[in-house]
Amino acid sequence: MNVRCETAREMIPDLVGGRLSGSEASRITAHLDTCEACRAEADVLRLLFTSRPGAPAGLALRVRGAVHRDRGSARRPWWGLAAAAVAVLALGIGVASRSTTAARVTVPEFVAEGSGASIWLTDDGMIAGAPALDGLSDEALRALLDELGSGGTGGTA
Amino acid sequence: MRIGAAGEALSDAELVRRAQEGDELALGALVERHQDAAFRVALSLVGDPDLAQDVVQDAFVRAFRALGGFRGDAAFRTWLLTITANAARGTLRKRGRRRESSLDAVAPVASEGVDPEERAVVGDEAARARAMLEKLPEKQRLAVQLRVDEGLSFKEIGEVIGSSEGAARVNYFHGIHRLREWMER
Repeated sequence: MNVRCETAREMIPDLVGGRLSGSEASRITAHLDTCEACRAEADVLRLLFTSRPGAPAGLALRVRGAVHRDRGSARRPWWGLAAAAVAVLALGIGVASRSTTAARVTVPEFVAEGSGASIWLTDDGMIAGAPALDGLSDEALRALLDELGSGGTGGTA
Repeated sequence: MRIGAAGEALSDAELVRRAQEGDELALGALVERHQDAAFRVALSLVGDPDLAQDVVQDAFVRAFRALGGFRGDAAFRTWLLTITANAARGTLRKRGRRRESSLDAVAPVASEGVDPEERAVVGDEAARARAMLEKLPEKQRLAVQLRVDEGLSFKEIGEVIGSSEGAARVNYFHGIHRLREWMER
């Protein structure tokens, strides 16, 4: 069965990642044999897939240790909670017994400035010319896709 | 069924179910299975391998804390990668840092069955492709990476990068279009 470029281009990532069944892989490979544009795309994606970085050795062990510690702290025995409650109570008494005219705590302004949204992400996009897609309708997105698909219309196989 | 060294025989859904019941082996198997993908997402966002490891650790801890409320509406992997992406952005914000670009210290996943000679020939081109990927804007870069490296659907990619399925698809094809242009130069 013939495969259109549109379909092939959607499936090339799964082909290079070895995630297709034998028959699906054969269909897409047959298309690549006759479509230069899709073949070029597959070559680039294959390069990307084969050079994907892996987690450094020891990361899994480190993560498991952190998860184990975190779960352990979440399962503190009742007397641990009781001790914490006593500590909070003692702290509360200490604070209450202080003068009520204590100086106000000033929050540095730069803290507020630093809490803004991910400004650098917008910046990153602007520098690299990323289009703002999130506000676009489905129709506008389809038109953009058609435009981007112009490089992959080398025919069907 | 008994869980093997890496829980190979069990689906994510089954491992999650067991992990929700407190099974430490199931937790470990989920870490083993998804650490590579989580590391790649973290690295793509923060750019620094050491910082990316901190992010992955933080993401798994957060995910397992919230596992009780995980209902399986999304695949565990998509859910974890979304948490990882949020943790990475939060880490950068907290540290007031921008993303760095340093893949030199990161080894690629070993490609079994590839002829060493062939590997050497394509090595330069592959490194160039990866360097080009680094230059894409964040959403395009993540869309390409999540589709190619992890095999996520556009709907799942949209969940991770915080956009619609359609926008994820456009980001992917836009990224691929630019990569091809750059690689052909």
